[in-house]
Amino acid sequence: MVALYQVMAIYHFGRRGVCLYGGGYVEQERKTKNWKLKMLEQVVFYIFGAVLVTSAGMVVTVRNPVHAALFLVLAFFCSAAIWLLLQAEFLAIVLVLVYVGAVMVLFLFVVMMLNINLAPLREGFAGFLPVGLFVAALMLTAMGLIVSSDHVLPGLPPAAAQPPIDAANTELLGKTLFTEYLYPFEIAGAILLVAIIAAISLTMRKPAAQRTPKPEKQVVVKRDTRVRLVNMESASPPEKGDSGGLSQRSQGGKQGDNSD
Amino acid sequence: MSITAEIVFLVPELALLILACLILVCDAFSTDPGKLLTYRLAQFSLVAVLLLVVYLYPDDAVSVFHQHFISDPLSAVLKVTICAVSIIVFSYSYDYFEERDTLQGEYFVLGLFAVLGMLIMASAYSMLTVYLGLELMSLSLYAMVAMHKGSGTASEAAIKYFVLGALASGILLYGISILYGASGTLVLPELAAHVSARTETDVLLVFGLVFVVVGIAFKLGAVPFHMWIPDVYEGSPTAVTLFLATAPKVAAFAMAVRLLVDGMEPLHIDWQGMLIILSVLSMAAGNIIAISQTNIKRMLAYSTIAHAGFLILGILPGMRLDVGYGYAGALFYVIVYAIMSLGAFGVVILLGRKDHESDRLEDFKGLAERSPWFAFIMLLLMFSLAGVPPFAGFWAKWFVIKEVVAIGHIWLAASAVIFSVIGAYYYLRIVKLMYFDQPEHMTEIKASRQMRMALSLNGLALLILGFIPGKLMDICTSVLGF
Amino acid sequence: MIELTEVLVLAALLFCISVAGIFINRKNVIILLMCIELMLLSVNLNFIAFSHFAGDIHGQVFVFFILTVAAAEAAIGLAILVVLFRNRNTINVADLDSMRG
Repeated sequence: MVALYQVMAIYHFGRRGVCLYGGGYVEQERKTKNWKLKMLEQVVFYIFGAVLVTSAGMVVTVRNPVHAALFLVLAFFCSAAIWLLLQAEFLAIVLVLVYVGAVMVLFLFVVMMLNINLAPLREGFAGFLPVGLFVAALMLTAMGLIVSSDHVLPGLPPAAAQPPIDAANTELLGKTLFTEYLYPFEIAGAILLVAIIAAISLTMRKPAAQRTPKPEKQVVVKRDTRVRLVNMESASPPEKGDSGGLSQRSQGGKQGDNSD
Repeated sequence: MSITAEIVFLVPELALLILACLILVCDAFSTDPGKLLTYRLAQFSLVAVLLLVVYLYPDDAVSVFHQHFISDPLSAVLKVTICAVSIIVFSYSYDYFEERDTLQGEYFVLGLFAVLGMLIMASAYSMLTVYLGLELMSLSLYAMVAMHKGSGTASEAAIKYFVLGALASGILLYGISILYGASGTLVLPELAAHVSARTETDVLLVFGLVFVVVGIAFKLGAVPFHMWIPDVYEGSPTAVTLFLATAPKVAAFAMAVRLLVDGMEPLHIDWQGMLIILSVLSMAAGNIIAISQTNIKRMLAYSTIAHAGFLILGILPGMRLDVGYGYAGALFYVIVYAIMSLGAFGVVILLGRKDHESDRLEDFKGLAERSPWFAFIMLLLMFSLAGVPPFAGFWAKWFVIKEVVAIGHIWLAASAVIFSVIGAYYYLRIVKLMYFDQPEHMTEIKASRQMRMALSLNGLALLILGFIPGKLMDICTSVLGF
Repeated sequence: MIELTEVLVLAALLFCISVAGIFINRKNVIILLMCIELMLLSVNLNFIAFSHFAGDIHGQVFVFFILTVAAAEAAIGLAILVVLFRNRNTINVADLDSMRG
C-alpha cells in the first residue's frame, strides 16, 4: 500500500514538475529531465507488471482459496497502478474501491462461509499442469507475436499526434457516459437489477428453514400468553403429566407450572 | 433527432423493462402459491411487446442513440420470433412447474429480463450493446438454470453453464478490445467502413476476428466449443432447457449476423474459412454422437449442436446478394428450428410426471397406443427435425444448402446432406419406438387444455409451414432488401 | 515512456494465465471464478491501453461497463456456488460428473 502511494506521489510530482519548469529551463536540461521521467515511468510499469504477472500466476496455482483471493487483490492493486500510469484515474480508483473493496470481500465471505474441507482439494492437480501450460504457451506465442508486431495500430494515429486525454478524466468520462452512452447505461442498470434478483432468489432459503427471530411477534408477547397460574389442591399429590392441557395456550415453548 | 423522437424506436424494450419491474413488485406481494397472477402478467407483457414490435415495423433501417441501437426489418422479424417463442415457452413451463409445485415467480421475471436482453441483441448496432445484451440474457439464464434449488444436477449444470459462458464472454470481449484497438471505434458500421477502407491485410483485425468468432461459436454451441450443451440441457429442469434451446438460439444468430455481417463484411473471406470448419465439425460430431444417447434431453442437445452447424452454414453467404439471398436461408432456418425445438421439448414436458421425468428414450415406447394424437405430433416434429420433405425442417435445410451452392461450395453442401442423412437415423428411431414397440406402462397423459392446444398448434404449424414455405421465405428475403 | 506493445503483451500474458488457470484447475470452482475475473482484467487493460494511446475516451467507457457487468457476474456466480455447495456439499470440479453420456 505504502509503496503504491509513494509511486503515485513520485509520478504526479514528476508530471507537475515538467509543467512548472517547462518554460524556464534551457532546452538541454529539459530533455534530460523528460528522459529521466520516461525512464522512471517505464521502470514503474515494469515493476508493477512483474508483480501483476507473478500474483496472477499465484492465483492460478495456489491451493488455498483464501490465499488465491489475496493474490487476486494484489493483482488488482497492481493493475490499478498501471491504469494510473495510462491516465485512467477514475477507473483505477473504481477498480480499487469496487473490486478490492466489494467484490473480493464477497469472494472471501463465500470462501469462509462455505468452510471447504481443504484436504481433498490438494490432491491431483499435477496431471493437468502440462496440458494447461502447453495451451498457455501456445496461445502466448501466437498472441505475443501478433500483438508485438509492427502491424499494431495502423488505424490509429501515432500517440504523439494525438493529445493525450486530459487530467479531467472523470469529467470527460461522465460527460460521455451520460450523453453518448445513455442507452448502454440503462442496460447496465437492468443487468445490476437482474444480479440483485438472481442473487437473492438463489441464496434465500424458505422461511421454514430460516431460524430468524421475529421481532414483531416478540414485542407483543404478554405475561398471560406465556405464564398461566393454575390452582391446585394442596392435598392431592403433584401431577407431572398434565402439561398437555397447559400447553394449549403457550406459544414460545415455555410453560408456566405454578402450584400453590 | 431529438431524444423524444429517438425514444419512440425504443418503446418495445422500454415497455418490457417497465412491465418486468412491475411484475417483480406484484410477485413479491402476491400470496398466491400458484403464481397465477405473475404468470398471466408475464404473458400479457410478452403479447404487448409482440404487438408493439409489429405495430412499429420499420420500413428501412434507422440507427439512433449515437448508433448504439438500430431499428431495421431484420431486428423486427427476430424480435417477433423471440417474443412468440417465449410466450409458448412460458405456457409450457407453467404447466411443468405447477405439476411439480416448484413454481417461483422469479422464473417469469428473470425470463422477461432474458427476453429483454435478446431484444437488445437483436437491434444492437455497436459492440458495446451486443455485449451488454448478451450479458443481460446470459446472467438471467444462469440464474434460471440454478433456480431449482433442491436439485443437485440443476446446480451442477448451472455452474458449468456459468463458467463456460463467462469464459466465452471473456474471449469475445478480448476480440472486441482488439477490434477496437485496430479500428478506433465501437460502432459496427464505422468498423465496417474502417475495414473496407484499409489498403493491406491487417493482422490485428483478423486476430480480433478469431476471438470474436470463438465467442460466437461458444454461444451457438458449435464444435469444438460445445462441451457445455449436453450437460446443461440434461441437468436443467426441462422447462428451463426448453427456454435455453429456443429463444437464445435466435438471439445468438442475431449476434453472429450483427458482428460478422454488419460489422465485418469486408473480412468475409477470413471469417468464412473459420465458419466452414465450425459448421462441418458441428454437423459431424452432433449427428454422430447423438446416435449413442439414451436420454432424450441429451440426444436433443447433440441434435442442437448439429443444427447449430447448419445454422452457421447458412450465415456463410453473408451479404453475397449477387448470387443468391445471402443469409436469408439462415434466418429461415433459425425461425423454423426454434419452432421444432419448442415442440420436441414440449412433448418431453408433456410426458413427464412429478415423480418421473420421462426423459429416457424408453419412455417413448408405444406412445402411439397411449396417446395417438401426441404420438402423431411427435412424429411431425421428428420428421421435421430430420429434414424429411415436405415438413418445414426440410425447407429450412433446402434453403440453406441452396445458398451454399450458390456461393460455390459444392462439397460443403454435399457433406451437409450426408450428415443430415446420418442424423435422420436417431430421429426416426424415436418414431419406431413410438409406433412399433410395446409400451412399458399405460399411464394416462395428463396435461392442461392450454398445453394440449399449444402443443398441437406447434406441431401443425410445422406441417402447414411445410406446405407453404414461400410466405415465411418472402419475409426472410425482404429483410435483406429483396 | 511506455510503449503500446508492452501493455498489450502484458495483457496477453494475463489472458493466457487465466485461460491456463481454467484448464489446470480441476479442484476448486472458486478459483475458476477468480480466473474469470483475471481474464476480464486483462481485457480491461487492453481497452485502457488502446484508449490512452489513441487519445480516445470510448475505450475507457467500455471498461466502465465491463467493470459493472463483471461485478454482477461475480455476484451471480457466487450465488450459484452457494446453491451448489448446499446441494452437493462439494465445490470440487472433479466431483461434478453426475452427468455422462
